[in-house]
Amino acid sequence: MSSAVHQVTIPIDLWEEEVEAVITTWFVSDAAEVDKGDLLAEIMAEKIQFEIVAPATGTLVIVKHQDQLIDKGDVIATITSAPD
Amino acid sequence: MPTKDRKLTVARAMAEAMSQEMRLDERVFVMGEDVGPLGGVFGNTRGLFEEFGAERVRDTPISETAFMGAAVGAAADGMRPIVELMFVDFFGVCFDAIYNLMAKNTYFSGGNVNVPAVIMTSTGGGYSDGGQHSQCLYGTFAHLPGMKVVVPSNAFDAKGMMTAAIRDNSPVIYMFHKGLQGMGWLGTEAGATVNVPEEEYTVNIGKAATVSEGEDVTIVSLGMGVHHSLHAAALLYEQGVSADVIDLRTLVPLDRDHIFNSVKKTGRLVVVDEDYQSYGVSGEIIASVVERDISILRAPPQRVAYPDIPIPFAHHMEQWALPNAEKIVRACLRATSN
Repeated sequence: MSSAVHQVTIPIDLWEEEVEAVITTWFVSDAAEVDKGDLLAEIMAEKIQFEIVAPATGTLVIVKHQDQLIDKGDVIATITSAPD
Repeated sequence: MPTKDRKLTVARAMAEAMSQEMRLDERVFVMGEDVGPLGGVFGNTRGLFEEFGAERVRDTPISETAFMGAAVGAAADGMRPIVELMFVDFFGVCFDAIYNLMAKNTYFSGGNVNVPAVIMTSTGGGYSDGGQHSQCLYGTFAHLPGMKVVVPSNAFDAKGMMTAAIRDNSPVIYMFHKGLQGMGWLGTEAGATVNVPEEEYTVNIGKAATVSEGEDVTIVSLGMGVHHSLHAAALLYEQGVSADVIDLRTLVPLDRDHIFNSVKKTGRLVVVDEDYQSYGVSGEIIASVVERDISILRAPPQRVAYPDIPIPFAHHMEQWALPNAEKIVRACLRATSN
């Protein structure tokens, strides 16, 4: 089986208001190995913090960095799973 | 296989240390304003209420005098309280319990009564919260004998020093800078979020750390100032000046040997402190070097500290007054031009 690329996406229903959010913390570095369910990042919208966890196991590539503004539905990273 | 990243914010590192100690020792409990279901205004008690419940994670009324007195009494009676006083600026109303009772009872009882309390409190400004929510007051606590005072600059130290503070039989003042907590609305210094072991460990209270090595000038700082100093050291390196950067980590007891040995090597001393300049930490650091051997200095010591004024609310005025990397670079160049 070939490797698969999974997107780390901000859920479109994570917060209700029409406001932008910001990435406050990445808990893992770019290019790090992560396991499905690992805490990856924390984002903040209107002073409320939300956790983003890994949707898959693999190698992380960060697309949106700390302090960058993000919106619902944005892809903030990808995870490339190794071939089985 | 590379080691897996496990970075934590300072806030999460503090909470993890507290939860692990609470599992090990039922005498440990937490109290303060909004430490319960909210998880602390600065995030450092998140998850504790859910795991340990309202008996051991106690939200208090807004009466610092009452709950600080209760904590000191509980500690003297065999408990190990961790008390949060939300902003260091608010200590005025409850100082009697702290410096007349907590700090002195061990001495007054001839060593028969320990007061193993941890008081954690937020320090620092930079996000326009005004002069009653932005102070550091490191020197105020360090000046009064009978209490240990720690000021972590990153998540690794924050966890290890919290564990050490809880296990210490002396009262410990644990001062965390808001800009290092990993709470977005306070601004976040990325360098504070570092890898942290999952298991328990302690960072020795009373030991400074050299966080960047150099030969030409010694920069001594604490808390947020350590990160400004590291940024300054990188800028200085481009100009051919290498800096020893020392993170004090603990103010009481102060690791004077560590400071002295570095200045002996570099001959130049710059102290960076976000607390007020006069009668405080920066003067004490300088005194601890010169009273031991003034001949090791090749230039007058320099200070980058907060001016002796109440902290302004207006963004541009506050930023003007705060220590920053550019000011530290200038101070180091003044020192190395001699």
